[in-house]
Amino acid sequence: MKSYDAAVIGGGVLGCFALRSLCRYRLSAVLIEAQADVCMGVTRANSAIVYAGYDNKPGSLKARMCVRANRHFHELCSELDVPFSRCGSLMTSCGEKGNAVLEKKYRDGIANGLEGLELISGDKARKMEPMLSRDVQSALYAPMTGTVNPWRLGIAACENAVQNGAELRLNTKLLAIKETDGGYILHTDREDIFCKAVINCAGLSAHVVQRMVYPCAVSIEKDAADFLVMDRDIEKPSRIIFQEKEDGKGITAVPCTEGNLLVDSAPRAMTRPYATSAEGIESIKKQLTALLPELEQDIIRTFAALRPNPHSEDGRSINDFCIETPAPGFVSLIGIKTPGLTCAEELGRYVAGICAEYLQAPPNPAFDGHRQAIDCADGDIVCLCEGISRAEIVESIRRGARTVEAVKRRVGTGMGRCQGSRCEIKIAQILETYSNGTL
Amino acid sequence: MEHYDILIVGGGAAGISAAKSAKGKKVLLAEREEKLGGILLQCAHRGFGGDLSGMEYAATLTAGLDNVKVSLNTTVLSINCDKTALLSQKDSGRRKISFSRLILATGAMEIAAGALPIAGDRPKGVYTAGMMQKLVNCQGFAPDGPVVILGSGDIGLIMAAAIAKMDIPVTLVEKEAALGGMARNRRRLDGLSVDMVLNSTVAEIFGERELEAVLLSSGEKLPCKTLLVAVGLECDRKLIRKLENPEWLRLCGNCERVHPMIESVINDGTQAGEWACGI
Ligand SMILES: Cc1cc2nc3c(=O)[nH]c(=O)nc-3n(C[C@H](O)[C@H](O)[C@H](O)COP(=O)(O)OP(=O)(O)OC[C@H]3O[C@@H](n4cnc5c(N)ncnc54)[C@H](O)[C@@H]3O)c2cc1C
Ligand SMILES: Cc1cc2nc3c(=O)[nH]c(=O)nc-3n(C[C@H](O)[C@H](O)[C@H](O)COP(=O)(O)OP(=O)(O)OC[C@H]3O[C@@H](n4cnc5c(N)ncnc54)[C@H](O)[C@@H]3O)c2cc1C
Repeated sequence: MKSYDAAVIGGGVLGCFALRSLCRYRLSAVLIEAQADVCMGVTRANSAIVYAGYDNKPGSLKARMCVRANRHFHELCSELDVPFSRCGSLMTSCGEKGNAVLEKKYRDGIANGLEGLELISGDKARKMEPMLSRDVQSALYAPMTGTVNPWRLGIAACENAVQNGAELRLNTKLLAIKETDGGYILHTDREDIFCKAVINCAGLSAHVVQRMVYPCAVSIEKDAADFLVMDRDIEKPSRIIFQEKEDGKGITAVPCTEGNLLVDSAPRAMTRPYATSAEGIESIKKQLTALLPELEQDIIRTFAALRPNPHSEDGRSINDFCIETPAPGFVSLIGIKTPGLTCAEELGRYVAGICAEYLQAPPNPAFDGHRQAIDCADGDIVCLCEGISRAEIVESIRRGARTVEAVKRRVGTGMGRCQGSRCEIKIAQILETYSNGTL
Repeated sequence: MEHYDILIVGGGAAGISAAKSAKGKKVLLAEREEKLGGILLQCAHRGFGGDLSGMEYAATLTAGLDNVKVSLNTTVLSINCDKTALLSQKDSGRRKISFSRLILATGAMEIAAGALPIAGDRPKGVYTAGMMQKLVNCQGFAPDGPVVILGSGDIGLIMAAAIAKMDIPVTLVEKEAALGGMARNRRRLDGLSVDMVLNSTVAEIFGERELEAVLLSSGEKLPCKTLLVAVGLECDRKLIRKLENPEWLRLCGNCERVHPMIESVINDGTQAGEWACGI
């Protein structure tokens, strides 16, 4: 049986950063992920926003981590060589209730220590973003808000962890945990693994994983949100636009680092996991017309997200990050929602720190936090929409991609207008050539 | 920098015809695939220039290109307003060239499922009809049945016939009250067993990993393992999106407008070649 000091359960963005943070200590670490790739769960479908920190209650863990994470995000992304755009954001309101929400967020932001936050008039907002509707009365401008591609960030962290000696077990589902002398035996659908400490980052199933060995008073309910992706070439706002409506949260439009506009809805009830709803999509389109009337709605893709809603036994929903340590060598991040992406590094460091302290692991002087993005284009263009070459695809396979989807998430193939219909056959052939041990 | 009188982007029927008629000029025909022919190369059905298959027709078409410099495995990445283009070739990498006239013959691409207002899951098993045509005719692939084809234009009809001939159950779903496409393509279905649902469209997809069924707007749920989207082609003009109709540029073939018949593509390409020589 393979044995490690620490095992991370779940390879979402949080598991990837927990793994990377473990490498800062002298210990052996492994990540266990049920799917064929990392970042295929909640992390796969989210709004890609690096939040400023005015949405969170002053004094909460979320507020503290978010503000700190936002300040350091540029640094983090340059270390990991992931595109990050500090594009700023405007939260817009068209009525009195909305204005009041903006004012409260402004106050919370100030209390959270944000600088540069500004409440501005509708006219000033339209000067900044001329596409905004004439109905916008006021806006909360946050220059520090940014956007990052969630799976690119998670994959980069995971690659960096592997560079630093961590191991990865994909396609491996944890089925049961047994407490034993000095640690845990993890029964998976492939092999048994021994570890001294566990970091549980199983996202929507984190309560289930904790219950494999300890009680867990937290349960997770799920709701959903729909997303639209627009073609890169349309004219679009250059900042993130939030819509605060008179009856609550509206849509969000994010100019992504890839150049597409991503638009998402407020939460709705879940039907089937990750299934979009026709009404949801229609309602986004309608709200988008109200918010940005001139925008050409050139949709190239739609998808849906699952949102964890952790709540305690008495049914009350838990608003702050839910972190449990049911035993000294076991720490769980349970159903972490927004701003989990923003705080992934913070949360990863935090739980790895708990774990290292328990293991009494000293710092690892050999840790190198730098990772390089794939940058080896050759002349053989495979993905015409995005201009991606064969050499880049081969390199993504060398770094662990084993499916067309995994290649897509590493180099961006199939993300354009034709959605892979012109290049998927070629990519499947390249995978066949290179992924059977030839690399 | 290499200079050409005429740069032709795309070596399908339109680009080949343009190259052939551009006599006496220094021409570069750039094609991103390893063979000339474009869409023709994936058409196993007969009906090109009489009774040839697309593949056979492509072979006759490429004869007589001797005076033209053909650069295969070469993608044109960008075209600039200063009459230069960035090319990327498989073994020799990127290079910039200049030209006096440009003929764009990049064809059309299929509208993908993502752009359609279809709700539900995103499982494997959803393809564009043209991608399936390539898989079947060039890779010897057989789709898992039952197959549902959305859209009864020419490509939908051709694929319905091809799949029915493989004895795989297939249903054509068309939102209009009658089948679309050309009469001669509708006749391909004669004597074959193809189910048809008219006045309907696919509203929702079911299947978490593998496709299981589609829900039609009529309320009917069709179990299926493969969905082919055949709702139309869109001219591929990405390369010239930022150019403002310069006088040195001409479009021909399917990137100018979608042509149902090869003859008009050839005609269009020939005229474009003559235009490029004439001025
Ligand atoms: C709609 C939406 C929008 C969001 N937008 C933002 C945003 O704009 N900015 C922001 O900062 N945050 C955002 N968030 C929050 C952020 O996406 C999450 O906090 C973050 O992705 C959570 O990551 P995770 O690693 O906990 O979960 P996941 O990505 O779900 O990872 C959990 C992993 O555990 C694996 N797993 C589960 N059980 C097992 C098992 N038994 N064995 C092995 N593996 C297992 C799963 O396969 C999965 O890969 C958003 C969230 C949602 C839902
Ligand atoms: C499925 C189908 C069936 C048909 N069946 C019939 C039939 O039975 N009978 C009939 O008469 N007609 C038929 N047609 C119509 C006719 O054959 C086509 O319209 C015609 O072949 C299109 O030619 P084209 O050169 O415009 O485009 P394409 O054949 O698409 O050629 C475009 C070429 O440009 C290349 N290219 C694109 N971008 C770049 C770039 N950036 N750099 C370099 N190269 C690039 C592509 O690789 C491709 O080779 C059919 C069409 C289709 C789609």
